[in-house]
Amino acid sequence: MKMLGRKEIERLYDAHAPALFAFLLNLTRDEADTRDLLQEIFIKLTRDATLLAGVREERAFLIRLAHNAAIDLMRRRGTRERTKENFAAEIISPFAPTSDPDKKVFREELAAALGELPADQRAVVHLKLWGELTFEEIAAALEIPPNTAASRYRYGLDKLRDTLRPLYEEIK
Amino acid sequence: MKPDEFEQRLSRQPLRQLPPDWRGEILAAAREAQSSGHSSPVTRHGWLATFNQQLSTIFWPHPKAWAGLAAVWILILAMNLSERDASPRLVVKSASPSPEAMVELKKQQRLLAELVGTYEAPDVDRRKIFSPRPRSERAEILMT
Repeated sequence: MKMLGRKEIERLYDAHAPALFAFLLNLTRDEADTRDLLQEIFIKLTRDATLLAGVREERAFLIRLAHNAAIDLMRRRGTRERTKENFAAEIISPFAPTSDPDKKVFREELAAALGELPADQRAVVHLKLWGELTFEEIAAALEIPPNTAASRYRYGLDKLRDTLRPLYEEIK
Repeated sequence: MKPDEFEQRLSRQPLRQLPPDWRGEILAAAREAQSSGHSSPVTRHGWLATFNQQLSTIFWPHPKAWAGLAAVWILILAMNLSERDASPRLVVKSASPSPEAMVELKKQQRLLAELVGTYEAPDVDRRKIFSPRPRSERAEILMT
């Protein structure tokens, strides 16, 4: 099996690892899991260079790998871990820490509200808001129809809006 | 609140940064995988991993419940097998009774025959009496 060269894997890491890290951290809400998944993805890419052969959108392809790996992990974990996931917003936030009290409160509330979204909605919301992908790109990455991506985003955003409305109005 | 405003506000929230020390560790692990030249465990045990994954997909919601059900089935199977083992032994034992037991059995059979034997004759007669024959023929039987 043809392996990926050292320079190429470094290029892939520098180009995509930050985005994959943020995406995986938002899905798993666990830094150790995020690291393991990121390493798993890059080892997989190194071992099989053919994985990227013919791939036009590297970012979308890598997000698909990351999403599948995260979903597999969540399935393996079972009920106990899924319960933990529901409260994971208290454990770790995907947002950068800040010293500004208003921003801090808003990010904490946003992290908690995101944590309450189902994983499929959270993935789409993340990729749209922070991955800056179009619905077509999200659809390609997650292997869902573009309409499904759009509706998941709408549902997810509506829930976030409902949850965060009082705080948003207060600090706007 | 305008949706655009809200979305923009959300998208402006900066995400946590990838820890810089991960780069060295992850790339080292990738290089190690490269130099070892082994195929990944997933590839090497492809069918096993797939089977395992399928099983975990089926059982992950309630593993304890499934384990309990499996234990109950194993218990039922064990009881069933132990009963099946015991029944042929009973047959073997009953197939070869001791001579004393045979003598005793014959005695009891004789006694029973004596006790029951008194009722045999009337039974035979009753059968004759109530046999479906014409009344004229029945009279002949009684005469004899």
